[in-house]
Amino acid sequence: MRFRFCGDLDCPDWVLAEMSTLARMSSVKMKLLCVQVIKDLLDEGIDYDKVSKLTSDAKFESGDIKASIAVLSFILSSAAKHDVDSDSLSSELQQLGLPKEHTTGLCKSYEDKHSALQEKLREISLRLGRLEAVNWRVDYTLSSSELKQVNEPTVQLKLQAQDPETDSTQTTVVSITADKFRVLLTELKQAQTMMNALQ
Amino acid sequence: MLFVLSEEHKHLGFLSEVDPAVVGESGRIAVEFLKKGSNPKIYEGALNVWSGSVQHGLEGLMYLLTESCKLTISEEDFQDSVLVLGFSEELTELLLQLYLENRKEIRQILSKPAPSLPHYHSLEWRLDVQLSSRPLRHQLKPTVTLKLHLEDGARRSAHVLQTDPATLQHLIDELERALAELKSSHCRRILHNIQ
Repeated sequence: MRFRFCGDLDCPDWVLAEMSTLARMSSVKMKLLCVQVIKDLLDEGIDYDKVSKLTSDAKFESGDIKASIAVLSFILSSAAKHDVDSDSLSSELQQLGLPKEHTTGLCKSYEDKHSALQEKLREISLRLGRLEAVNWRVDYTLSSSELKQVNEPTVQLKLQAQDPETDSTQTTVVSITADKFRVLLTELKQAQTMMNALQ
Repeated sequence: MLFVLSEEHKHLGFLSEVDPAVVGESGRIAVEFLKKGSNPKIYEGALNVWSGSVQHGLEGLMYLLTESCKLTISEEDFQDSVLVLGFSEELTELLLQLYLENRKEIRQILSKPAPSLPHYHSLEWRLDVQLSSRPLRHQLKPTVTLKLHLEDGARRSAHVLQTDPATLQHLIDELERALAELKSSHCRRILHNIQ
């Protein structure tokens, strides 16, 4: 059976298996657990004490707690990934066997934080060599050992970027003459116009 | 399969001169040494025998255990191999018990230093479309960028790769063909014979 929230693929077996674990909690507690899981997905930190208090009524063991957090994480992030609206998510979860009250609670939390989740997922998408900082300085060369009167401006540009393979910051310093810099600036402005046209 | 104990292994001779309790203790210490590395301080404290022969004796015992575990020899073979040393029945029995109890753990320890290749940790990907570049405008060139994270013991490494969709499809087909190879009758016959 194909599910939209799984990207039009079959639902993984472990997700199906954990539906019964989730059903053991009351729907109110499950909604609060969803809120905690969403906080974790948004990197706001998950409060494990609250989680254990929520699951203590249903007498979850540590394996069950881990499984329920994992399955909720999967459902919420996968639904945000494939941009599923909450009604479709609700009907698909009920098809998998999650009781109606639990599904309603989950979908309400999902709808509230839908755009925040997608924003976060967009942020952590693969990006290579991010530019972290740019510093510049304009110098004016008066004279040198080769020529007595040079009188030339130069730009010193310091770029701090992330190395794609090691994720460490690498600094590159270049010095550019006025003409070369003019060419660079024109080309970059053309690229910027093109980017603005796309947005 | 027997393993041959030569003249050098006569170090284990000291075991026949002491009581069974000491033998048990030496056995336990030998296993500890195999797990964590040898610790000379224990030589002095635990056993009331002069320390030169204790060290050799313990090393001999460790060698006996690792060789037996390496070959996973059966009980009878173990007993036959140890027969060379001329130990009493009781002592042989003790050594046999020591071997059988710790066999699995020692095999696990022995499997670790084997050379291994870095293995898969995770894969991130991204689909991009190149619209224009400095020399040419109005293009439509899709590319897939992959970041393959590998793990080798404690070391993590990341490899950045880029491919166009046609090559990616070819890659997928080749990998699926490799997986399908497992289901071929040739492979199934071999796996059936090993297991």
